[in-house]
Amino acid sequence: MSEWLESAIARGQDNQDWLAPKRAQALDALANTQWPTRKTEAWRYTPLKAVERSSAKALDSVSDLTPVAIPNVSAIELVFVNGQFDALQSTKALPTGLTVQLGQDLSADQQAEALRSFSNIKPERHLFGLVNDALAKDVLLVTVAEGIEIAEPLRISSLLSAGAESHTRVLVRLEKGAQLAVIEDVQSQGDSLSTAFVEYDVAAEASLEHYRFALQTGSNLTIGGSHFQLSDKSKMHSTIVGFGSELSRLDTDIIHAGEFADAKLNAMYLLDGKELFDLHATVEHAMPNGTTEENVRGIVADRARAVFNGRIHIHRDAQKTLAELNNRNLLMSNKAEINTKPELEIYADDVRCAHGATIAEIDKQALYYLETRGISKSKAQVMLNFGFINELIDLMPNEALAEWVRPIIRERFAQMEVK
Amino acid sequence: MSNLLTIKDLHASVEEKNIIKGLNLEVKPGEVHAIMGPNGAGKSTMGYVLSGRDGYSVESGSVTLDGEDLLDMETEERARAGLFLAFQYPVEIPGVSNLEFLKAAVDAQREARGEEAVTSAEFLKEAKAACKQVNLPVSFLKRGVNEGFSGGEKKRNELMQMLLLKPKLCILDETDSGLDIDALQVVAEGVNSQRSADRSFIVVTHYQRLLDYIKPDFVHVLSDGKIVKSGDASLAHELEAQGYAWLQTEPAEDELEG
Amino acid sequence: MSEFYMTEQIDKALAREYEAGFVSDVESETFMPGLDEDVIRRISEMKGEPEWMLEWRLSAFRDWLKMDEPDWALVDYPKIDFQAISYYSAPKSMKDKPKSLDEVDPELLRTYEKLGIPLIEQQMLAGVAVDAVFDSVSVVTTFREKLEEAGVIFCPISEAVHKHPDLVKKYLGSVVPKKDNYYAALNCAVFTDGSFVYIPKGTRCPMELSTYFRINEQNTGQFERTLIIADEGSHVSYLEGCTAPQRDENQLHAAVVELVALDDAEIKYSTVQNWYPGDEEGKGGIYNFVTKRGVCHTNAKISWTQVETGSAVTWKYPSCVLKGDNSIGEFYSVALTRGRQQADTGTKMIHLGKNTKSTIISKGISAGKSNNSYRGLVRMNPGAEGARNFTQCDSLLIGDQCGAHTFPYVESRNPSAIVEHEATTSKVSDEQMFLCQQRGLDPEKAVSMIVNGFCKEVFKELPMEFAVEAGKLLEISLEGSVG
Repeated sequence: MSEWLESAIARGQDNQDWLAPKRAQALDALANTQWPTRKTEAWRYTPLKAVERSSAKALDSVSDLTPVAIPNVSAIELVFVNGQFDALQSTKALPTGLTVQLGQDLSADQQAEALRSFSNIKPERHLFGLVNDALAKDVLLVTVAEGIEIAEPLRISSLLSAGAESHTRVLVRLEKGAQLAVIEDVQSQGDSLSTAFVEYDVAAEASLEHYRFALQTGSNLTIGGSHFQLSDKSKMHSTIVGFGSELSRLDTDIIHAGEFADAKLNAMYLLDGKELFDLHATVEHAMPNGTTEENVRGIVADRARAVFNGRIHIHRDAQKTLAELNNRNLLMSNKAEINTKPELEIYADDVRCAHGATIAEIDKQALYYLETRGISKSKAQVMLNFGFINELIDLMPNEALAEWVRPIIRERFAQMEVK
Repeated sequence: MSNLLTIKDLHASVEEKNIIKGLNLEVKPGEVHAIMGPNGAGKSTMGYVLSGRDGYSVESGSVTLDGEDLLDMETEERARAGLFLAFQYPVEIPGVSNLEFLKAAVDAQREARGEEAVTSAEFLKEAKAACKQVNLPVSFLKRGVNEGFSGGEKKRNELMQMLLLKPKLCILDETDSGLDIDALQVVAEGVNSQRSADRSFIVVTHYQRLLDYIKPDFVHVLSDGKIVKSGDASLAHELEAQGYAWLQTEPAEDELEG
Repeated sequence: MSEFYMTEQIDKALAREYEAGFVSDVESETFMPGLDEDVIRRISEMKGEPEWMLEWRLSAFRDWLKMDEPDWALVDYPKIDFQAISYYSAPKSMKDKPKSLDEVDPELLRTYEKLGIPLIEQQMLAGVAVDAVFDSVSVVTTFREKLEEAGVIFCPISEAVHKHPDLVKKYLGSVVPKKDNYYAALNCAVFTDGSFVYIPKGTRCPMELSTYFRINEQNTGQFERTLIIADEGSHVSYLEGCTAPQRDENQLHAAVVELVALDDAEIKYSTVQNWYPGDEEGKGGIYNFVTKRGVCHTNAKISWTQVETGSAVTWKYPSCVLKGDNSIGEFYSVALTRGRQQADTGTKMIHLGKNTKSTIISKGISAGKSNNSYRGLVRMNPGAEGARNFTQCDSLLIGDQCGAHTFPYVESRNPSAIVEHEATTSKVSDEQMFLCQQRGLDPEKAVSMIVNGFCKEVFKELPMEFAVEAGKLLEISLEGSVG
């Protein structure tokens, strides 16, 4: 076992609060966990040396960090600074039907109930999920009441000072027929280590729009997960944008726990330098008549490494499932690396499932077409790369958010091009 | 008047197979030349070779555009020098909007000519006008390049690019293929509207039909990589009546430079 | 072969039990169960092996002791007791090494005849030479003289160790290293027989070569070893077939096959695997843990085709290391599981050289309560400039109690390499069934036709000469799997 994990376990043992029973479970599981090596399937291509070497440590909340503004998006802000909930920067006046509470502020009865939801959706297999179970201090509970549609998106920002370690945890529950958009974002000043996990309980007929931005580059170690449980006739639409960093790892789980649920996941990664980005996306169809559509695209330049694992698991009872996964990659350099593993595990016969994965260069025909119109090769390449990703940006339901992220991605390509 | 395009004894190959075998052609400003010929004669190859497509290599011969050595230029330099190829099967580029693409092309070409860049607002106005002229809804500017366009829409999109780029020499590669008569007329009208004293066309086609709408000054028959017969517009009708079968029976050499 | 022919074969198969399940009444000399260095020394002694061969075995055994059984495959079986297995069994009549067919125990010949593999040359399929391996020994290799005329060596590997030690020393373990994996290491230690093939430079092997493996004795493991060397510019097509009696106990089969295709050579390796699969409830059957790999040098080509219908558990990944520029690797597979069978099979295509190409077509059919997994790796190394891979994995589920899975690993480190992977899952649709039935076909015939159509891309890769063999081995009893 690594020193880092031992220290995390030791620190977790000090957390004697309302979550104590769940923390104890997590610590137990951690104590029995092997520190991943190349032989550990879930970490096959992603070494954890950077975590072992990390000198990031828990720091007090500071006031000089604020979430970046997103033009034309007025969000309900929930802000964590260095792992602690920052009530001052968070939106106080919440719309009717939306409640946000800190776990420690709940009554004993409420805590008992909240305890049941904690780590109920996030699967136990995620190593850093367990670490988060043990170390997340301020656990936020967000609920949208039955039938309520929240117009403004809710943004959960985790801000970190340089060298900070933080563990944030949010439980979001959409009650029957509720609607909500959530933006998850981590912003750091460098050399940080963060685990940010959010569990979404989407009740019957509810609808969740979800965005997760992992745009931190450089020396930040960004680890996290978004875990969704879908009930009857519920819907989710998730967009993930990832840049790599020294270590950037994201686990998503979509669990079809009800019938006729519909999940869409569009994820993209754009890697440069020596960055690493690792996305593990699992979909569990446990009930019949669900649909899942996943589109994952990546561009990997320089010496960067991308890892994608897309697993679709159709359980015995999940008849009439439709599930599709498409993963496309462009490899830009002969020092870069792409490792992709789309998996299907199917135990029901009356289903339609497919996956595809490609790794290729830019479409030569398209490149030629642009050149015949007088556009230079390098400019044409940037345009095509951007177009490849932009197709997924175009699918973002929130246009203002798309407008915000588009130039960020353009800028990223321009930088990648300069080299 | 000096030539706009001069092709001298051009030999070119694809994947080590000779396709163009001694092509000669002279095009003066304002002229419309039709190139006809059977399948496999090298009609499309000619357009690819002139535009400098990867994998199409010139073995010998020369090509000048406005006196400059065309073969010495990169694909995009040829475009900036005024060469425009309207594709038979334009490629789809999802995610890159038509407008973005057109602006990038116009900007690149203006910059190469030392002209000032047009503002986005000005360009949008021009692009909308061009859309109207080729009968494409303005919404097509926002869509991905050729993405999900019908065959006719793609051809009209090619035409729209031509309107905006204002080339000196347009090569229309089987622009009539896959078009019904109405779509054909729209495209032909667009082409005709662009005919001028300083713009020339090479219309590559298998059928004479298109030439009823775009009247050529000259018609050439391309067979086995070279021009085996040349004439005026009446040659197209002759071909329509005879087909191309005679090409196989008569040795091509005898008809050379006819 | 024609689609109609295959349909007919499947059709026949519908009505039929595991036909190869009989036991031959042959008196055998069989080692007591157990495995240690002494057992290995005794095997080596029985084969009269030179010292270097024994040392090679012992070092593999010592490595094996330190290794762990792989657990990553999606198969579930009780832990194997390696001390409960007998590592050598041979018919007593083989002890005197019969010089000709006339001296071979007629019961052995009858066994192969019953399996549809007559060993009397006059009765044989023209153009197919057969090496017949019975438990731990090769019984006979046919057409040897004819092959020798062409310079082709086709003999039991135990004989090659004596007669062609230089070739064996040079190539044995060169493709699958001793420590490659748990079962390969075990095979290195205890392999008993198998086939050896050498095709000289520029030679096109005048006939198809074939090895037929038969497990007969109870509680024995079969550990055969095949080594095929195609020298520069040569060509060979090879087929292996395998069956075993119907027994309640599980039996272990851990083979290693190594292929070496030198510059411009081509090896086509086809397998029709029909080891006893166990009964409907999963009782008995062969554990088939096999390592097969080939190396392609410049411009060489290796093509693996497999039809896997037998075995209780299959763990098998015939692979290609595309070392030379412009080399080609192919993998065509049909894997059918039923009852409680479990198959975890696929391939690895390792692209090292420039402009290397690989194609993977895998068709998995799951019925009954079986599980069928495709597991594959495509790796484009930094030097694999302009390399290409295309992979298509299709699964067909018959019934709602089975599983079909796909685990492809795709790794690329070269920007000019192109990898395409596609996988689909489908069932025999009600519409298809209705159409067939409406036209007068009974449901089982309809299923067999649909399954056949599903596998067509792979069947067409099988050598024509083995049509009969392949047809037999498609004894896919789909009986009762149609609701």
